[in-house]
Amino acid sequence: MEKMLEDVVLRAISHCFKCKLCAIADFHGSDEKWLALCPSGSYYGFNSFYSPGRFEVFREVLSGEIDCGTEMLVKVAFGCQLCGACYERCKEVSKVELDNAELFEELRSVLAERGWLLDAHVRIREDVERTGNAYGASEKLEYPSSGDEVIYFVGCTARYREREISEAMVRVLNASGARFTVLGDEWCCGSPLLRTGQRDVASRLIAHNVEEIRGIGAEKMVFTCPGCLKTFKESYSDLGVELLHASEYINSLVSEGRLQPGKLKIALPYHDPCHLGRHLGIYDAPRETLELIGVEVVELSRNRGNAWCCGSGGGVKSGFPEFATWTADERVGEIRETGSDIVVSACPFCKRNLEDSGVKVFDLAELVSQTL
Amino acid sequence: MTILEELERIVGRENVSGDPAITAAYSRDQHWTFVPPKNPAYVARPGTKEEIRDVLMLANRENAPVIPWSTGINIRGMTIPVADGTIMLDVSRLDRIVEVNHGMMTATIQPGVTFGMLVEETKKHGLRPAFPDAPLTVSAVTNNYLRGIYQTAPRDGLDHILSFEIILPNGETLQTGSRLLKRDLPYFRYGPGPEIASLFIAGPGTWGVVTELTLKLYRIFEHQKVYYVGFDDLEKPMGLLDRVNREELVSGCRFVDTIHWLPPYLGTFDYEYETLPEFVVVLVVENQDRIFQAQDHIVQTYIAESGGKILDLPQDLVDNLKCEMLGAETSPMIFGFKGNFYCVGYYGPLNLLPQYYRDFKENALEIGFEAEDISFYANTIARFHGQSTYYELEIYFDSSDKRSVEMLRTLHARTVANLLETGIYGWFRPYAGVIEPTLDRIGNFADYWKKLQNFIDPNGIMNPGKLF
Repeated sequence: MEKMLEDVVLRAISHCFKCKLCAIADFHGSDEKWLALCPSGSYYGFNSFYSPGRFEVFREVLSGEIDCGTEMLVKVAFGCQLCGACYERCKEVSKVELDNAELFEELRSVLAERGWLLDAHVRIREDVERTGNAYGASEKLEYPSSGDEVIYFVGCTARYREREISEAMVRVLNASGARFTVLGDEWCCGSPLLRTGQRDVASRLIAHNVEEIRGIGAEKMVFTCPGCLKTFKESYSDLGVELLHASEYINSLVSEGRLQPGKLKIALPYHDPCHLGRHLGIYDAPRETLELIGVEVVELSRNRGNAWCCGSGGGVKSGFPEFATWTADERVGEIRETGSDIVVSACPFCKRNLEDSGVKVFDLAELVSQTL
Repeated sequence: MTILEELERIVGRENVSGDPAITAAYSRDQHWTFVPPKNPAYVARPGTKEEIRDVLMLANRENAPVIPWSTGINIRGMTIPVADGTIMLDVSRLDRIVEVNHGMMTATIQPGVTFGMLVEETKKHGLRPAFPDAPLTVSAVTNNYLRGIYQTAPRDGLDHILSFEIILPNGETLQTGSRLLKRDLPYFRYGPGPEIASLFIAGPGTWGVVTELTLKLYRIFEHQKVYYVGFDDLEKPMGLLDRVNREELVSGCRFVDTIHWLPPYLGTFDYEYETLPEFVVVLVVENQDRIFQAQDHIVQTYIAESGGKILDLPQDLVDNLKCEMLGAETSPMIFGFKGNFYCVGYYGPLNLLPQYYRDFKENALEIGFEAEDISFYANTIARFHGQSTYYELEIYFDSSDKRSVEMLRTLHARTVANLLETGIYGWFRPYAGVIEPTLDRIGNFADYWKKLQNFIDPNGIMNPGKLF
């Protein structure tokens, strides 16, 4: 969350060799299939929307050659889900050391400092400042509490938009006998603001949540939202609490014998959420969870590090809804190629955006709760 | 109407922009240490040949410079604007594989088709294009047209172009080869009349915009064996290289400076590279069944006689090397080794290999590069007449370090002068830093070249400043 030094940014930019291998999935690993991987570049077409081009835009912003926050500049900077596919490919093929998504967040932060932002993202900030959540919801939704062994951090989307995920997770926690609690006054983790360059407000949210968590003294925190988990892992100071995605926690509950899920005996495709997979490296845990409940995973053509984004992240759903829908439609097409109209995922944003494009999405927690 | 408005009328508002947030992305490429950045004034993304024609006619009328741009990859500064008011003609939307003809062993493609796309499609027919030693994201049209298929295997020959369609600066469309008589028979290089098509090839967008190209494809063999033969001496492998090429025994043949070439290319694998011999010859034998067996037997015999040692490399390293040598490349780890890499690519005879290598290494060390930064490889090519070989002299460097960049510029100038003095056949492309000293040396040929250029492009709108 700290500001990057300008020369660090320029050094990284100078190391981009403009090979654009970041825009396609692992060719040889995909049986020599040309599979696009960059939603932004694929949708908008101009070179500025691919990583190598966006780097040059960033360079000119820093050098002052770009000195006006035009609509196009804002689109170039914010019209990207920060899915991290570009960096995943780049580090694989080139060993270049800086995270593209991190650099693009830095670009957004530079633009935000100059007031070059999307109205939709400013509204999110205003909503967060007013209500403590990214949707500006004023009602207080209560969750049960059974102790302080583990904190379930619900997150704004599973609380206010995809509530069935949080309800399912609570059922799972109850069934396991885990003594859990939900923060009495949980605020947005800060992710939507950090992803859209609005770091100053995010700092206040983080400070609030840290205080709430420290007061509980739990050993573990569990998340159904990979965006929240990523933010806690990367932008919060060390709280002395183990941070786990729901899949990891459920797997441990099963292995400890505290949870005995049944078997669904079905085959379903699994969509890797960007924040869970590429950003946090958690690919196996959700697949293991599915195996535990008798779901045979049907791998999509683009999976794991090569997964195509659901389209929702990085402020795109709010800022560029048509682009978000197009990205989801692409993924839904791939899901349907497996013969299924149902997909499993592990992120409330993915659930929401893919469902908007016409498939039924089950979160892992929902499927696990169905087996209890 | 302004030029921007005219462009919007031709390609549609959503496909053109003069906003720096769009033009900046076309201002630099990987050759930026030699070619200073400059934004074009506009980027236009036509979706049809007619739109390309109309943009060229507009540019010709307005005397606006035009730079054709296909994927923008591996073109070494050749699409970076020099003049103000440049229209960047991004033709990546024309990405159709028009035809893969199994019977004719050809592919007809548009300029936005990448090698990856072409490999995927041709494989379905048991065929493959000639591979460039370049990321598979490069344009297959551009890499062929710029004579950049420098990874050419001895089996494939050098020139893979059969015919093409080009839109000239005045908006006229020109067909070449057998296309002249029948458009749906584009499979022969030499049509009626003089073979003027070759004059167009290797021009960096200076004579028009290629909108369709018909290429040779090659067979994929089931039987294939790759040998990695180690040598501790620079002269020793020369006999083996000469022999297997002269006798047409190998499909692929590469000489590499092992210690310095392998780790950066394949450096993600945990391997004790220092245990390898200093030089490695990579030989690819492939053919059908018994012919393959006979060929393989001879190659094994020659390897044994050469004094080289067949290396037993780990499978993952071998697989990656095979992608480098024989397929669409996805492993440019060279970039991450020091942050960037430089190379000068050219064609020359095989027998000068030791001299090229020693001169380059000596110069680079003298200028201040470390031995580990210096790399070298050579591929024999094209049936071996004239011992034709493609060379790359390479340096791994940190492009964010000004001193390294200065050292590199010094080395480059010295290397180019040395090579011209020693003798080479030609540069792999007419890119910045090599074309200028070359034009000085080729006398009246340059004058005729320029006259022809003026004939085709009298207003000088096509990529001005890149050749003349």
